[in-house]
Amino acid sequence: MTTYDESGARLATTARIASHPIHPMLVPIPIVCFVGALITDIVYAVSAEMMWANFSAWLLIVGLIFGVLAAIAGLTDFLANRLIRAQAPAWPHMIGNLVVLVLAFFNVLIHTRDAWTSVVPVGLILSIITVLILPITGWLGWSMVYRHGVGVLQ
Amino acid sequence: MTMSSRFLWATFLCGSMLSLAGCNDGSGDPSAQIGPNPPLPALQQFLLPPMHIAKVVGWKQGETPKVTQGLKIEPLATGLQHPRSLYTLPNGDVLVVESKAPKAAAIKRPKEIVMGYIESWATSGGNTGDSNRITLLHDSNGDGVPDKQSVFLDHLNSPFGVALVGNDLYVANTDAIVKYPYHDGDTKITEPGQTLTPLPGGPIDHHWTKSLTASPDGKLLYVGVGSNSNITENGMEAEHNRADILEVDRETGRFRIFASGLRNPNGLTFEPQSHALWTVVNERDEIGPDLVPDYMTSVKDGAFYGWPYSYWGQNTDPRVQPQRPDLVAKAIPPDYSLSSHVAPLGLAFYTGTNLPEQYRGGAFVGEHGSWNRQVLNGYKVVFVPFSNGKPNGKAQDVVTGFLDDNEHARGRPVGLAIDKTGALLIADDVGNTVWRVTSAGTGPSPAARL
Repeated sequence: MTTYDESGARLATTARIASHPIHPMLVPIPIVCFVGALITDIVYAVSAEMMWANFSAWLLIVGLIFGVLAAIAGLTDFLANRLIRAQAPAWPHMIGNLVVLVLAFFNVLIHTRDAWTSVVPVGLILSIITVLILPITGWLGWSMVYRHGVGVLQ
Repeated sequence: MTMSSRFLWATFLCGSMLSLAGCNDGSGDPSAQIGPNPPLPALQQFLLPPMHIAKVVGWKQGETPKVTQGLKIEPLATGLQHPRSLYTLPNGDVLVVESKAPKAAAIKRPKEIVMGYIESWATSGGNTGDSNRITLLHDSNGDGVPDKQSVFLDHLNSPFGVALVGNDLYVANTDAIVKYPYHDGDTKITEPGQTLTPLPGGPIDHHWTKSLTASPDGKLLYVGVGSNSNITENGMEAEHNRADILEVDRETGRFRIFASGLRNPNGLTFEPQSHALWTVVNERDEIGPDLVPDYMTSVKDGAFYGWPYSYWGQNTDPRVQPQRPDLVAKAIPPDYSLSSHVAPLGLAFYTGTNLPEQYRGGAFVGEHGSWNRQVLNGYKVVFVPFSNGKPNGKAQDVVTGFLDDNEHARGRPVGLAIDKTGALLIADDVGNTVWRVTSAGTGPSPAARL
């Protein structure tokens, strides 16, 4: 199925508000949260000051919730428009970000442990891997918009 | 945080927990861990720790706990509000300390929201009446059955321990030891109390029950102050003077740390033969269904029992940072394991003569019951035989049946006392009852009272 928006764009997104795609509105939130959690994990690993591990726990749970919402919007666009799915970056962008969410889910659970082992070493390692994947999937996502014109009014 | 968003958080994580609930958590036979040298399995860390909460259903009309052969049980007082500890006055009147947890501190992390919700299943959520008071049960004809019940002291701050020395009655609120004048026969105290010494209380007040006892000569008071976390997750600064037994001078209120490293010490009592101070201790959670055994121990002056750095002697806990090998080197193991996660909160040495011979000189322990393992443990009162002031033999189940066939909690035992007739009294905080255990065939039977 191919959907067209009011202007008849071939790569129109399905989850949108007044032609504005929802997915790119949401993705900054998990990105900022997961990068922030890596920073607070590092500060905790250096300081052993519980406040920083608490910050990490909040950042991860908020990042995960908004990440799931962003994924719902993104998957809607991906599944509803065959032409979006056909763009080269689409599949690796989706799979990479699903990996991010799975890692973040386990990281949330690790961060429910008490004190030092809620972060060191497993939580910190998961935070690092998560943040290493984000620039790759982000780059692919930007390619979808800036190079392929997904969601862009023609 | 609104209730509905609380519910969503809880649903989110509980869904994952329930999927694990059917799994065996790999625990061993809990009775293998009773005694002086319990086997300690390797420490585990979890994505989700094993959890099994016994939902509270309460006692139906006529239901009682079960007692072992030769004993008899009946309710002494019902309709109480979360009774947690008991104290027998010299004239035979019984004080029932009804107490609720202090107001929770501000939420520090998402886990506390989920845990708070789950733990609410295990408390008597239906009772919202007045608590934080002491009720006096008076038995005017000496048959052991109270005929008068009065509010003895009201508007207390999450009280737990009580100790009487002469005419001075001490109540250990969660934030202070308060002294009241008491005279034989008083059924109500109206005089305001005097603070003897403040105790570590809020804003964070994780283990809030302050157990209290007086030295045999009456000069000193001993108060148990539980830790402010499971394992330092609220920061070490929250643990000042906590996980300690404090020794308080009764004249001046000055205190010193008598023993430390006791995560949540309760049931402080002097053993009648050796005159040593004994306590039951709730050990740490979330490192396995068989770790760490809760225990009872004689408390040595100046001793360090490990928390938070190590458990059962010198087994270090990797969750504590920075670690303190210097302190771990000093840590001594406790005397007697009661098995893991049984949550002992009450301890009473049997000095009476009403119960059969075999119980004399030994210790009864009230086990509030587990949450941090799949196979429930505790939820009963056990008896540990003693000889020459030391445990001598395996703990035996004395009062059981607090769980029904569906593993729901009809009640949960907490504090214990021996009344003037030599009967064993049990405070049941979610059953809102005080139970009285006597020898079968002595005293008035419940039928005779009708």
